[in-house]
Amino acid sequence: MSRLPTPEKTAEPSAGASRGSLGVRALDGLMAWLAGWWRVLYLGAQIMVLAVSPSSYGPANRLLLARHVVLATAPILLWFTLLCALATLVITRIVVVTALSYGLSQYALQLIIRVLVLELIPLGAALFVALRSTIASSAELAEMRLRGELAALAEPLRQEAMPRVVAGMFASITLAALSCVVALVLAYLAVYGFTLSALPAYTRLFGQVFNPAVTLIFVLKTLFFSLAVALMPIVSALYDDAPAGLRHGAELRALARMFVVILLIEMVSLVGNYY
Amino acid sequence: MSTPSDLQPLVPTHQLERKAMLLLVFMLALVLGSAAYVLFARGAFERTQQLVLVADDSEGVVVGMDMTFSGFPIGRVSRIELAPDGKARIVVEVPLKQAAWLRQSSVFTLVRGLVGNTNIRAYSGMLSDPPLPDGAVREVLRGDATADIPRLITAARELVESVHTLVGTEGALGASLVNVQQLTDKLKGPTGALGVLLGNDAEAKKLLLTLEKTNSLLARLDGLAVKTDAQVFGADGVMPQTRATVVQLNALLGEARSSLKRVDAVLIEAQAVGANARVATADLGTLRAEVESSLSKVESLVNDINRKWPFARDTEVKLP
Repeated sequence: MSRLPTPEKTAEPSAGASRGSLGVRALDGLMAWLAGWWRVLYLGAQIMVLAVSPSSYGPANRLLLARHVVLATAPILLWFTLLCALATLVITRIVVVTALSYGLSQYALQLIIRVLVLELIPLGAALFVALRSTIASSAELAEMRLRGELAALAEPLRQEAMPRVVAGMFASITLAALSCVVALVLAYLAVYGFTLSALPAYTRLFGQVFNPAVTLIFVLKTLFFSLAVALMPIVSALYDDAPAGLRHGAELRALARMFVVILLIEMVSLVGNYY
Repeated sequence: MSTPSDLQPLVPTHQLERKAMLLLVFMLALVLGSAAYVLFARGAFERTQQLVLVADDSEGVVVGMDMTFSGFPIGRVSRIELAPDGKARIVVEVPLKQAAWLRQSSVFTLVRGLVGNTNIRAYSGMLSDPPLPDGAVREVLRGDATADIPRLITAARELVESVHTLVGTEGALGASLVNVQQLTDKLKGPTGALGVLLGNDAEAKKLLLTLEKTNSLLARLDGLAVKTDAQVFGADGVMPQTRATVVQLNALLGEARSSLKRVDAVLIEAQAVGANARVATADLGTLRAEVESSLSKVESLVNDINRKWPFARDTEVKLP
């Protein structure tokens, strides 16, 4: 496994820079931007290879993985589910009442399923995991790297980076799955009440919303969201280097990069679903 | 550093692994359960039979939409394809347990609502008919609520144009309204309703003049009437004199009546004379008869004398 290379320092602009040096700076900036994305892709690919190789799940690594998975998922699972339940109840109520007032109540449930389960919950789960787990985890990794602890490890990617990425993905998928189930149950209860008699109709409606294309897009979206929120902060912590005392600048850059990726995924999924 | 992070002091190893395993199982159960539910909701575990509906136009039909029977969904569109003859083939998957509602005599309709939602409906009039076989192909009847809209819009436009022409300044209603306006103006004018009735002001003035004249005439007539009254019914009027004349006439009549009575008596007497004359006339008849018989006797006597008398003429023819 390669040692983590330090990125090339960009040339410091001289005082009284000419227009030519401005162009050079812009070019350098573009190159640095491209190099940053390249590193994200390259290191991300390395970590994914590690994540799918069975040797990463040996007895020594398994404990590390278990620790990160538990730490990333367990503390936020309950809170996020509660938050999601509350949002579901509120949104369901709003949609049902509005649809009823327009005489379109037959479309209310479909709308709720589409808005909540297909769009809001995967995005919410990914953002929640990013803010509560993976960003903190990546900051911890960056600290370790600054202190030189990472360099002392035999396999820093396999021992520290990969477990955090897997834990982030795991947390994101678990949260999304649990919240979707809770939202579906609560939407059913909010619309029909405590009865089982409307279950066939609800199942049928659910089946109509989740046609194969939508299901595929939903699964892929959730997967890529989890990948983005788990991978990008960790990669940034491993690579991005900032001048001393400007660590936050690098973190912000990583955050911005992650949000761009999430936005792209969401846009692609919307295009796939509704065009 | 042999271990990457200080995890030993935090939690015991076996507990950590158990927790992680629990989470993993939980997550897998959620994901697999959701996948199974999606498959179930999509009807992947149902045995179905196919029904092909042929329509001229499959607009509004989407894969996954329901086919309903009496409002209950009994089938789902699984595929829409274009047949070689240019018609749309809507392939509907009907679960076997719902297929009992479909019979060979069933009718299928494709109805498009106003807000754009499309419904495929099945109607089975006779549930005792043989069941619909798998893969049956049926024509679907289209009932399009929006198909009438263009015609309706054209009709509405024509109507609006007619109304427009009618109420326009050139139109009949507009002209009528203008007339009504003129009429009300005239009504409000000095000649009022009379001007309206007579057409122009000159005539109305004439009529007014006539009315005034009539009024004065009436006043004079009134005076005349008073005078006439005095002359006719006054103390020396015609009427009292007439009454006196009538009284005199009455007296005259009484006298005439007594004269007539006397004439009556004379007539009765004349009647009696007449009766006597009649009796006398009857006696005259008898007398005449007697005279006649006497005469005939005389005649026969003369005849006898003539025969017996010698100088009687030889009247007989003597045969040799």
